[in-house]
Amino acid sequence: MKPEEMRYCSTGEVHLDFHGSTYVGLKYLLDHFGMEAVDEVLSSTAEKVYKSIYERLQRGDSSELICHWRYYLEREKCDFTLTENPDGTAVLELRECPALRQLAKENINDRPLICHATDKMNQVWCANSPFEIVVEHLEKGCRQTLRRK
Amino acid sequence: MIPSDHFVRFYNEIFKYLQKQGPEAIAEYYQTISKHQETHCWEIFTQKGIPGMKEYWDNIRKEENCDGEVLECSETVYRSIMNNCPSLSKVVDNDAGASDIYCRHCPGWVMPLLTKCGYYCVEDLVGLDIPRCQLSIFKNLEDARAYRERVLKRHPGKPELVESNFD
Repeated sequence: MKPEEMRYCSTGEVHLDFHGSTYVGLKYLLDHFGMEAVDEVLSSTAEKVYKSIYERLQRGDSSELICHWRYYLEREKCDFTLTENPDGTAVLELRECPALRQLAKENINDRPLICHATDKMNQVWCANSPFEIVVEHLEKGCRQTLRRK
Repeated sequence: MIPSDHFVRFYNEIFKYLQKQGPEAIAEYYQTISKHQETHCWEIFTQKGIPGMKEYWDNIRKEENCDGEVLECSETVYRSIMNNCPSLSKVVDNDAGASDIYCRHCPGWVMPLLTKCGYYCVEDLVGLDIPRCQLSIFKNLEDARAYRERVLKRHPGKPELVESNFD
C-alpha cells in the first residue's frame, strides 16, 4: 500500500511534544478512572479511529497496518527495520521508540503505561482477525512480530 | 505507539470518555494539561512575556502545520488568528467522529496558564465545529475587558463562543 492510500496520511512538520501529551492523557485516565478507562479509550481509538486498519486486519489484509508503521516511524525519524513478507506477516524492529525518546526528554519515566497503549491497540486490532502481534521489549524500543494465528 | 500526528484523534476519544463522566472530570483534565504545558511554556512566558508567547506560538504554528497568523504583537498585546486549525480539522476528518467540546480544550489549558502568569486572555471560538478561532492576550485587564466586549458583539446570543479568564 502507498502512504497516500492510507485513511490518514499526515504531511508537513511533526510535533513530537504530542507524545508527552499522550502520556498525560493516559495517566489522567489511569489515576482518576482506572485501567478500565485507559483500555476503553484505547479500544475505541483502535477500533473506531483506526477503523480502516481494524477492518482490513479482520479481512486478513495487513497492508495498511504495515504501511502505517513504516510511514509514521519514518516521519518521526526512528531507528527501525521493518521486514514485510509476501503472506502479509512482518517484523518491526524498533530500536529506539520515538514515544519513549520524547518522554525521556521530558523526564517522564513510565514505560509500562506507554507500552500498554501499544499492546492494547494491537490486541484490539488482532481480535477476531487472522493475525496476532507478539511484542518483545528491547532496551529502548521493541520488536513487534505480526504473524498469522 | 500512537504517532504524534494522530495524537489529536486519541485526545478526542479522551474527551468523549470524560463527557460521560461529567463536567468536573473535563475541568480537572484541562488543569492537568495546563500543568503539563507549564513544562513547555512557563519559563518562556514568565521570562519574556508577550514576545515569549509569540515565540512559543510561532514554533507551534510551524510544528503543528497551522494556517494562522499574528495580527498584533507588542509588550502588552498579542492577537492571532487561526484560519484553519489542524487540530480540529483532524478531529473532524476522523472515522470515530468529533467530540462536540473538542475546541474547548484550547482555552481549557491556555487560560489557567495565562492566569498563573498574570495575563488576561480572550478567545473567540467562532464556532465549535469550525476550525477557526482568534486568541488575544493582554497585559492590562481594562484592555482585555474592552476587547471582550467587542468580541461578544460578534456573537449575539452566543456568549459561550467567547472564553476569557477574567470576570
